Amino acid sequence: MSVESQSLDRYSRQIRFPQLGEEGQRALLRSRVALCGCGALGTVLANHLARAGVGSIRVIDRDFIETHNLQRQILFDEQDVAENLPKAEAAARKMRAINSSITVEPVVTDLDHTNILDLVSDADLILDGTDNFETRYLINDAAVKLGKPWIYGGVIGSEGQTMTILPGETPCLRCLIETAPPPGMTPTCETAGVLGPAVAVIASFEAIEAIKLLSGHREALNKDLIMVDLWDWTFRQLKIANLLGKVDCPCCGRKNFEWLDGSMGSHTTTLCGRNAVQVAARRPEPLDFADMARRLTPLGEVRHNAFMLRFAAEGHEFTVFPDGRAIIKGTNDISKARSLYAQYVGS
Amino acid sequence: MPVVRIPTPLRPHAGGLDRIEAAGATVGEILNQVTAEHPALRERLFDGEELRRFVNVYVNNEDIRYLDDLATPVAASDEVSIIPAVAGG
Repeated sequence: MSVESQSLDRYSRQIRFPQLGEEGQRALLRSRVALCGCGALGTVLANHLARAGVGSIRVIDRDFIETHNLQRQILFDEQDVAENLPKAEAAARKMRAINSSITVEPVVTDLDHTNILDLVSDADLILDGTDNFETRYLINDAAVKLGKPWIYGGVIGSEGQTMTILPGETPCLRCLIETAPPPGMTPTCETAGVLGPAVAVIASFEAIEAIKLLSGHREALNKDLIMVDLWDWTFRQLKIANLLGKVDCPCCGRKNFEWLDGSMGSHTTTLCGRNAVQVAARRPEPLDFADMARRLTPLGEVRHNAFMLRFAAEGHEFTVFPDGRAIIKGTNDISKARSLYAQYVGS
Repeated sequence: MPVVRIPTPLRPHAGGLDRIEAAGATVGEILNQVTAEHPALRERLFDGEELRRFVNVYVNNEDIRYLDDLATPVAASDEVSIIPAVAGG
Protein backbone atom coordinates (compact mmCIF):
# COMPACT_ATOMS: atom_id res chain seq x y z
CA MET A 1 0.00 0.00 0.00
CA SER A 2 1.39 3.40 -0.89
CA VAL A 3 1.81 6.01 1.80
CA GLU A 4 -0.95 8.04 0.23
CA SER A 5 -3.49 5.24 0.10
CA GLN A 6 -2.66 4.38 3.71
CA SER A 7 -3.29 7.96 4.67
CA LEU A 8 -6.63 7.99 2.85
CA ASP A 9 -7.71 4.68 4.39
CA ARG A 10 -8.69 6.32 7.65
CA TYR A 11 -11.29 8.32 5.71
CA SER A 12 -12.71 5.27 3.87
CA ARG A 13 -16.18 5.54 5.40
CA GLN A 14 -16.71 9.10 4.25
CA ILE A 15 -14.98 8.49 0.90
CA ARG A 16 -17.65 5.83 0.28
CA PHE A 17 -20.26 8.55 0.53
CA PRO A 18 -20.55 9.08 -3.24
CA GLN A 19 -20.96 12.86 -3.25
CA LEU A 20 -17.66 13.20 -1.42
CA GLY A 21 -15.56 10.39 -2.87
CA GLU A 22 -11.79 10.31 -3.06
CA GLU A 23 -11.63 13.55 -4.99
CA GLY A 24 -13.62 15.34 -2.30
CA GLN A 25 -11.42 13.86 0.39
CA ARG A 26 -8.27 15.08 -1.34
CA ALA A 27 -9.83 18.54 -1.56
CA LEU A 28 -10.52 18.47 2.19
CA LEU A 29 -6.91 17.50 2.87
CA ARG A 30 -5.71 20.46 0.80
CA SER A 31 -8.04 22.89 2.62
CA ARG A 32 -7.26 25.53 5.20
CA VAL A 33 -9.80 26.67 7.76
CA ALA A 34 -9.71 29.46 10.34
CA LEU A 35 -11.81 28.46 13.33
CA CYS A 36 -12.70 31.59 15.29
CA GLY A 37 -13.55 30.70 18.86
CA CYS A 38 -13.10 27.33 20.48
CA GLY A 39 -15.79 27.03 23.10
CA ALA A 40 -18.94 24.96 22.74
CA LEU A 41 -19.50 25.46 19.00
CA GLY A 42 -15.76 25.55 18.33
CA THR A 43 -14.87 22.26 20.00
CA VAL A 44 -17.59 20.39 18.12
CA LEU A 45 -16.41 22.00 14.88
CA ALA A 46 -12.77 21.24 15.63
CA ASN A 47 -13.63 17.63 16.40
CA HIS A 48 -15.55 17.14 13.15
CA LEU A 49 -12.99 18.89 10.97
CA ALA A 50 -9.98 17.08 12.45
CA ARG A 51 -11.65 13.69 12.04
CA ALA A 52 -12.85 14.51 8.52
CA GLY A 53 -9.30 15.35 7.46
CA VAL A 54 -9.44 19.09 6.83
CA GLY A 55 -5.72 19.49 6.18
CA SER A 56 -4.93 22.69 8.01
CA ILE A 57 -6.89 24.16 10.89
CA ARG A 58 -6.02 27.36 12.75
CA VAL A 59 -7.79 27.46 16.11
CA ILE A 60 -8.14 31.00 17.48
CA ASP A 61 -9.44 31.55 21.01
CA ARG A 62 -8.80 34.10 23.75
CA ASP A 63 -9.98 32.14 26.75
CA PHE A 64 -8.89 29.43 29.17
CA ILE A 65 -10.82 26.36 30.28
CA GLU A 66 -13.02 26.37 33.35
CA THR A 67 -14.90 23.49 34.93
CA HIS A 68 -18.30 24.87 33.88
CA ASN A 69 -17.18 24.56 30.22
CA LEU A 70 -16.95 20.77 30.42
CA GLN A 71 -20.73 20.27 30.24
CA ARG A 72 -20.67 21.09 26.51
CA GLN A 73 -17.14 21.82 25.24
CA ILE A 74 -16.42 18.33 24.03
CA LEU A 75 -12.67 18.40 23.48
CA PHE A 76 -11.81 19.43 27.05
CA ASP A 77 -11.48 17.45 30.28
CA GLU A 78 -10.69 17.95 33.96
CA GLN A 79 -6.97 17.57 33.37
CA ASP A 80 -7.02 20.57 31.01
CA VAL A 81 -8.65 22.64 33.74
CA ALA A 82 -6.07 21.47 36.29
CA GLU A 83 -3.27 22.42 33.89
CA ASN A 84 -4.75 25.90 33.27
CA LEU A 85 -4.59 25.36 29.53
CA PRO A 86 -5.92 27.92 27.08
CA LYS A 87 -8.71 26.52 24.94
CA ALA A 88 -6.84 26.83 21.65
CA GLU A 89 -3.84 24.91 22.99
CA ALA A 90 -5.88 22.15 24.66
CA ALA A 91 -8.02 21.76 21.53
CA ALA A 92 -4.93 21.52 19.33
CA ARG A 93 -3.50 18.74 21.53
CA LYS A 94 -6.72 16.72 21.25
CA MET A 95 -7.03 17.33 17.52
CA ARG A 96 -3.46 16.13 16.93
CA ALA A 97 -4.17 13.05 19.04
CA ILE A 98 -7.29 12.39 16.94
CA ASN A 99 -5.54 12.95 13.62
CA SER A 100 -1.78 13.32 13.51
CA SER A 101 -1.75 13.74 9.72
CA ILE A 102 -3.31 17.20 9.71
CA THR A 103 -1.78 20.54 10.70
CA VAL A 104 -3.31 22.30 13.69
CA GLU A 105 -2.17 25.78 14.65
CA PRO A 106 -3.43 27.08 18.00
CA VAL A 107 -3.49 30.86 18.39
CA VAL A 108 -4.24 32.23 21.86
CA THR A 109 -5.39 35.75 21.17
CA ASP A 110 -8.37 38.04 21.16
CA LEU A 111 -9.48 38.32 17.55
CA ASP A 112 -9.70 42.04 16.76
CA HIS A 113 -9.41 44.46 13.87
CA THR A 114 -5.62 44.58 14.15
CA ASN A 115 -5.03 40.86 13.72
CA ILE A 116 -8.00 39.32 11.93
CA LEU A 117 -6.74 39.79 8.37
CA ASP A 118 -3.43 38.13 9.27
CA LEU A 119 -5.28 35.21 10.84
CA VAL A 120 -7.91 34.52 8.17
CA SER A 121 -6.47 35.71 4.84
CA ASP A 122 -4.87 32.36 3.98
CA ALA A 123 -7.96 30.33 4.88
CA ASP A 124 -10.42 28.87 2.37
CA LEU A 125 -13.20 29.20 4.92
CA ILE A 126 -13.85 30.98 8.21
CA LEU A 127 -15.93 29.17 10.81
CA ASP A 128 -17.84 30.82 13.63
CA GLY A 129 -17.26 29.28 17.03
CA THR A 130 -17.67 32.60 18.84
CA ASP A 131 -20.17 33.61 21.49
CA ASN A 132 -20.73 37.29 20.74
CA PHE A 133 -21.90 39.57 17.94
CA GLU A 134 -18.96 41.93 18.16
CA THR A 135 -16.58 39.23 16.93
CA ARG A 136 -19.09 37.96 14.38
CA TYR A 137 -19.44 41.40 12.80
CA LEU A 138 -15.66 41.61 12.67
CA ILE A 139 -15.51 38.21 10.95
CA ASN A 140 -18.29 39.32 8.60
CA ASP A 141 -16.37 42.47 7.64
CA ALA A 142 -13.15 40.52 7.03
CA ALA A 143 -14.94 37.80 5.06
CA VAL A 144 -16.79 40.28 2.84
CA LYS A 145 -13.66 42.37 2.27
CA LEU A 146 -11.66 39.28 1.35
CA GLY A 147 -14.52 37.64 -0.57
CA LYS A 148 -14.16 34.60 1.65
CA PRO A 149 -16.98 32.30 2.74
CA TRP A 150 -17.90 32.01 6.40
CA ILE A 151 -20.49 30.13 8.37
CA TYR A 152 -22.43 31.73 11.22
CA GLY A 153 -23.77 29.70 14.13
CA GLY A 154 -25.35 30.88 17.37
CA VAL A 155 -26.95 28.99 20.25
CA ILE A 156 -28.85 29.84 23.42
CA GLY A 157 -30.79 27.51 25.70
CA SER A 158 -32.16 24.74 23.52
CA GLU A 159 -32.26 26.77 20.30
CA GLY A 160 -29.84 27.80 17.64
CA GLN A 161 -29.41 29.41 14.23
CA THR A 162 -26.99 28.99 11.38
CA MET A 163 -26.45 30.48 7.94
CA THR A 164 -23.79 30.07 5.29
CA ILE A 165 -22.40 33.30 3.90
CA LEU A 166 -20.84 33.52 0.44
CA PRO A 167 -19.99 37.21 0.01
CA GLY A 168 -21.63 38.68 -3.08
CA GLU A 169 -23.75 35.58 -3.61
CA THR A 170 -25.78 35.39 -0.42
CA PRO A 171 -26.86 37.90 2.22
CA CYS A 172 -24.18 38.63 4.83
CA LEU A 173 -24.70 38.74 8.59
CA ARG A 174 -25.38 42.49 8.52
CA CYS A 175 -27.99 42.05 5.79
CA LEU A 176 -29.74 39.77 8.25
CA ILE A 177 -29.05 41.63 11.50
CA GLU A 178 -27.82 45.15 10.86
CA THR A 179 -26.92 45.94 14.44
CA ALA A 180 -26.47 43.73 17.45
CA PRO A 181 -28.91 44.05 20.30
CA PRO A 182 -27.49 46.24 23.08
CA PRO A 183 -26.11 44.38 26.11
CA GLY A 184 -28.93 43.28 28.35
CA MET A 185 -31.50 43.12 25.51
CA THR A 186 -30.56 39.60 24.53
CA PRO A 187 -29.80 36.61 26.72
CA THR A 188 -26.37 35.01 26.77
CA CYS A 189 -25.38 31.47 27.63
CA GLU A 190 -24.35 32.81 31.03
CA THR A 191 -27.78 34.27 31.77
CA ALA A 192 -30.14 31.90 29.93
CA GLY A 193 -28.13 28.70 29.99
CA VAL A 194 -27.32 26.41 27.10
CA LEU A 195 -27.71 22.70 26.44
CA GLY A 196 -24.84 20.70 24.98
CA PRO A 197 -26.90 18.85 22.36
CA ALA A 198 -28.26 22.15 20.98
CA VAL A 199 -24.73 23.42 20.46
CA ALA A 200 -23.67 20.13 18.93
CA VAL A 201 -26.53 20.26 16.42
CA ILE A 202 -25.72 23.78 15.23
CA ALA A 203 -21.98 23.12 15.12
CA SER A 204 -22.65 19.94 13.16
CA PHE A 205 -24.72 21.93 10.66
CA GLU A 206 -21.77 24.30 10.30
CA ALA A 207 -19.38 21.35 9.90
CA ILE A 208 -21.36 19.64 7.16
CA GLU A 209 -21.55 22.94 5.30
CA ALA A 210 -17.77 23.24 5.67
CA ILE A 211 -17.30 19.75 4.25
CA LYS A 212 -19.54 20.55 1.27
CA LEU A 213 -17.87 23.86 0.59
CA LEU A 214 -14.28 22.65 0.96
CA SER A 215 -14.92 19.57 -1.17
CA GLY A 216 -16.31 21.73 -3.98
CA HIS A 217 -20.04 21.17 -3.55
CA ARG A 218 -21.40 24.69 -3.37
CA GLU A 219 -24.61 23.53 -5.04
CA ALA A 220 -25.51 21.60 -1.89
CA LEU A 221 -25.03 24.53 0.53
CA ASN A 222 -27.78 25.88 2.73
CA LYS A 223 -29.31 29.11 1.40
CA ASP A 224 -31.66 29.74 4.32
CA LEU A 225 -31.46 30.88 7.90
CA ILE A 226 -31.85 27.59 9.73
CA MET A 227 -33.46 27.74 13.17
CA VAL A 228 -33.92 24.81 15.48
CA ASP A 229 -35.34 24.45 18.96
CA LEU A 230 -34.56 21.03 20.35
CA TRP A 231 -36.85 21.46 23.36
CA ASP A 232 -39.94 22.37 21.32
CA TRP A 233 -38.92 20.19 18.34
CA THR A 234 -39.21 23.00 15.87
CA PHE A 235 -37.09 23.21 12.76
CA ARG A 236 -37.45 26.17 10.41
CA GLN A 237 -35.84 27.27 7.18
CA LEU A 238 -36.38 30.99 6.78
CA LYS A 239 -35.99 32.33 3.26
CA ILE A 240 -33.34 35.01 3.37
CA ALA A 241 -31.80 34.81 -0.12
CA ASN A 242 -33.91 37.76 -1.34
CA LEU A 243 -32.42 40.06 1.28
CA LEU A 244 -29.29 40.38 -0.86
CA GLY A 245 -29.43 43.75 -2.58
CA LYS A 246 -32.87 44.44 -1.08
CA VAL A 247 -31.62 45.80 2.23
CA ASP A 248 -29.18 48.70 2.34
CA CYS A 249 -26.38 46.68 3.89
CA PRO A 250 -23.55 48.78 5.35
CA CYS A 251 -21.13 45.89 4.93
CA CYS A 252 -21.65 43.95 1.70
CA GLY A 253 -23.66 46.75 0.06
CA ARG A 254 -21.84 49.96 0.98
CA LYS A 255 -18.49 48.28 1.80
CA ASN A 256 -18.39 50.20 5.03
CA PHE A 257 -16.30 47.89 7.21
CA GLU A 258 -16.90 49.56 10.56
CA TRP A 259 -15.72 46.63 12.65
CA LEU A 260 -12.64 45.94 10.56
CA ASP A 261 -11.53 49.58 10.48
CA GLY A 262 -11.82 49.75 14.28
CA SER A 263 -14.54 52.41 14.44
CA MET A 264 -16.86 49.81 16.01
CA GLY A 265 -15.86 47.34 18.68
CA SER A 266 -13.67 47.66 21.70
CA HIS A 267 -10.73 45.76 23.03
CA THR A 268 -11.49 46.26 26.65
CA THR A 269 -14.86 44.76 27.23
CA THR A 270 -17.05 43.25 29.90
CA LEU A 271 -17.50 39.52 29.41
CA CYS A 272 -21.26 39.43 29.47
CA GLY A 273 -22.82 37.61 32.39
CA ARG A 274 -19.48 36.52 33.81
CA ASN A 275 -18.81 39.45 36.13
CA ALA A 276 -15.46 39.83 34.41
CA VAL A 277 -13.69 42.34 32.21
CA GLN A 278 -11.15 41.63 29.52
CA VAL A 279 -8.43 44.26 29.39
CA ALA A 280 -6.57 44.31 26.12
CA ALA A 281 -3.17 45.94 26.21
CA ARG A 282 -1.12 44.32 23.52
CA ARG A 283 2.63 44.42 24.05
CA PRO A 284 5.38 44.05 21.48
CA GLU A 285 7.34 41.60 23.68
CA PRO A 286 5.78 38.71 25.61
CA LEU A 287 5.47 39.25 29.36
CA ASP A 288 8.09 37.61 31.54
CA PHE A 289 5.87 35.44 33.76
CA ALA A 290 8.70 34.27 36.02
CA ASP A 291 9.59 37.86 36.80
CA MET A 292 5.94 38.84 37.32
CA ALA A 293 5.40 35.87 39.61
CA ARG A 294 8.32 36.95 41.81
CA ARG A 295 6.94 40.46 41.96
CA LEU A 296 3.39 39.35 42.79
CA THR A 297 4.19 36.58 45.26
CA PRO A 298 3.80 38.86 48.32
CA LEU A 299 0.08 39.09 47.41
CA GLY A 300 -0.43 35.34 47.72
CA GLU A 301 -0.25 32.34 45.45
CA VAL A 302 0.79 33.04 41.85
CA ARG A 303 0.45 30.20 39.34
CA HIS A 304 1.78 30.28 35.84
CA ASN A 305 2.58 28.10 32.86
CA ALA A 306 3.70 28.93 29.33
CA PHE A 307 0.24 30.27 28.43
CA MET A 308 -1.02 32.27 31.40
CA LEU A 309 -0.34 33.66 34.84
CA ARG A 310 -3.01 33.74 37.53
CA PHE A 311 -3.15 35.54 40.87
CA ALA A 312 -5.66 37.22 43.14
CA ALA A 313 -5.66 40.75 44.52
CA GLU A 314 -8.33 42.91 46.20
CA GLY A 315 -10.83 40.10 45.82
CA HIS A 316 -10.33 39.89 42.05
CA GLU A 317 -8.87 36.98 40.12
CA PHE A 318 -6.45 38.05 37.39
CA THR A 319 -5.60 35.83 34.42
CA VAL A 320 -2.84 37.38 32.34
CA PHE A 321 -1.75 36.19 28.88
CA PRO A 322 1.76 36.58 27.42
CA ASP A 323 0.61 39.28 24.97
CA GLY A 324 -0.48 41.52 27.87
CA ARG A 325 -4.19 40.78 27.69
CA ALA A 326 -5.88 40.03 31.01
CA ILE A 327 -9.23 38.80 32.25
CA ILE A 328 -10.15 40.29 35.61
CA LYS A 329 -12.94 38.55 37.47
CA GLY A 330 -15.16 40.11 40.08
CA THR A 331 -16.15 43.31 38.31
CA ASN A 332 -18.18 44.56 35.36
CA ASP A 333 -16.69 48.03 35.65
CA ILE A 334 -14.29 48.70 32.78
CA SER A 335 -12.56 51.69 34.35
CA LYS A 336 -12.07 49.82 37.61
CA ALA A 337 -10.62 46.87 35.67
CA ARG A 338 -8.28 49.20 33.79
CA SER A 339 -7.08 50.68 37.04
CA LEU A 340 -6.59 47.24 38.62
CA TYR A 341 -4.64 46.24 35.53
CA ALA A 342 -2.39 49.28 35.71
CA GLN A 343 -1.84 48.66 39.40
CA TYR A 344 -0.98 44.96 39.33
CA VAL A 345 0.07 44.09 35.79
CA GLY A 346 1.50 47.43 34.78
CA SER A 347 0.55 49.96 32.16
CA MET B 1 -56.93 34.65 12.99
CA PRO B 2 -53.20 35.10 12.31
CA VAL B 3 -50.85 33.88 15.02
CA VAL B 4 -47.74 35.68 16.24
CA ARG B 5 -44.96 33.40 17.45
CA ILE B 6 -43.04 34.84 20.36
CA PRO B 7 -39.42 33.69 20.72
CA THR B 8 -38.19 32.37 24.06
CA PRO B 9 -36.26 35.49 25.14
CA LEU B 10 -39.34 37.71 24.64
CA ARG B 11 -41.87 35.47 26.38
CA PRO B 12 -41.30 37.07 29.80
CA HIS B 13 -42.50 40.33 28.19
CA ALA B 14 -45.56 38.65 26.67
CA GLY B 15 -47.13 37.08 29.71
CA GLY B 16 -45.12 33.90 29.16
CA LEU B 17 -47.02 33.12 25.95
CA ASP B 18 -45.32 31.47 22.98
CA ARG B 19 -48.15 32.20 20.53
CA ILE B 20 -50.62 35.07 20.47
CA GLU B 21 -53.59 35.36 18.15
CA ALA B 22 -54.16 38.85 16.80
CA ALA B 23 -56.54 40.42 14.33
CA GLY B 24 -55.19 42.58 11.55
CA ALA B 25 -54.62 42.71 7.83
CA THR B 26 -50.94 43.71 7.89
CA VAL B 27 -47.88 42.90 9.97
CA GLY B 28 -48.00 46.42 11.43
CA GLU B 29 -51.64 46.13 12.53
CA ILE B 30 -51.03 42.76 14.08
CA LEU B 31 -47.92 43.81 15.98
CA ASN B 32 -49.70 46.97 17.15
CA GLN B 33 -52.47 44.86 18.59
CA VAL B 34 -50.12 42.40 20.28
CA THR B 35 -47.98 45.16 21.78
CA ALA B 36 -51.09 47.04 22.95
CA GLU B 37 -51.97 43.93 24.96
CA HIS B 38 -48.35 43.47 26.08
CA PRO B 39 -46.78 46.93 26.42
CA ALA B 40 -43.46 45.54 27.70
CA LEU B 41 -43.06 43.88 24.31
CA ARG B 42 -43.48 47.20 22.51
CA GLU B 43 -40.24 48.59 23.86
CA ARG B 44 -38.35 45.46 22.86
CA LEU B 45 -39.63 45.47 19.28
CA PHE B 46 -40.14 49.10 18.34
CA ASP B 47 -38.20 52.32 18.39
CA GLY B 48 -41.08 54.77 17.91
CA GLU B 49 -43.07 53.48 14.95
CA GLU B 50 -40.13 51.59 13.43
CA LEU B 51 -39.01 48.08 14.20
CA ARG B 52 -35.69 48.01 16.01
CA ARG B 53 -32.85 47.17 13.66
CA PHE B 54 -31.99 43.92 15.41
CA VAL B 55 -35.59 42.67 15.31
CA ASN B 56 -36.52 40.62 12.26
CA VAL B 57 -40.09 39.70 11.42
CA TYR B 58 -41.20 36.93 9.10
CA VAL B 59 -44.57 36.08 7.60
CA ASN B 60 -44.48 32.33 7.40
CA ASN B 61 -40.90 31.82 6.19
CA GLU B 62 -40.44 35.14 4.35
CA ASP B 63 -38.61 38.19 5.71
CA ILE B 64 -40.90 41.25 5.60
CA ARG B 65 -37.97 43.46 4.51
CA TYR B 66 -38.15 42.05 1.00
CA LEU B 67 -41.94 41.97 1.08
CA ASP B 68 -43.59 45.21 2.17
CA ASP B 69 -42.17 45.72 5.67
CA LEU B 70 -44.85 46.54 8.22
CA ALA B 71 -47.41 46.94 5.39
CA THR B 72 -46.93 43.30 4.36
CA PRO B 73 -50.40 41.73 4.13
CA VAL B 74 -51.24 38.87 6.45
CA ALA B 75 -53.95 36.28 5.82
CA ALA B 76 -55.94 34.57 8.57
CA SER B 77 -53.96 31.37 8.14
CA ASP B 78 -50.56 33.10 8.23
CA GLU B 79 -48.04 32.98 11.00
CA VAL B 80 -46.01 36.03 11.97
CA SER B 81 -42.67 35.25 13.67
CA ILE B 82 -40.34 37.51 15.56
CA ILE B 83 -36.85 36.17 15.03
CA PRO B 84 -34.30 37.10 17.66
CA ALA B 85 -30.57 37.39 17.15
CA VAL B 86 -28.88 34.40 18.79
CA ALA B 87 -25.55 35.38 20.26
CA GLY B 88 -24.29 32.44 22.29
CA GLY B 89 -22.02 29.64 21.34
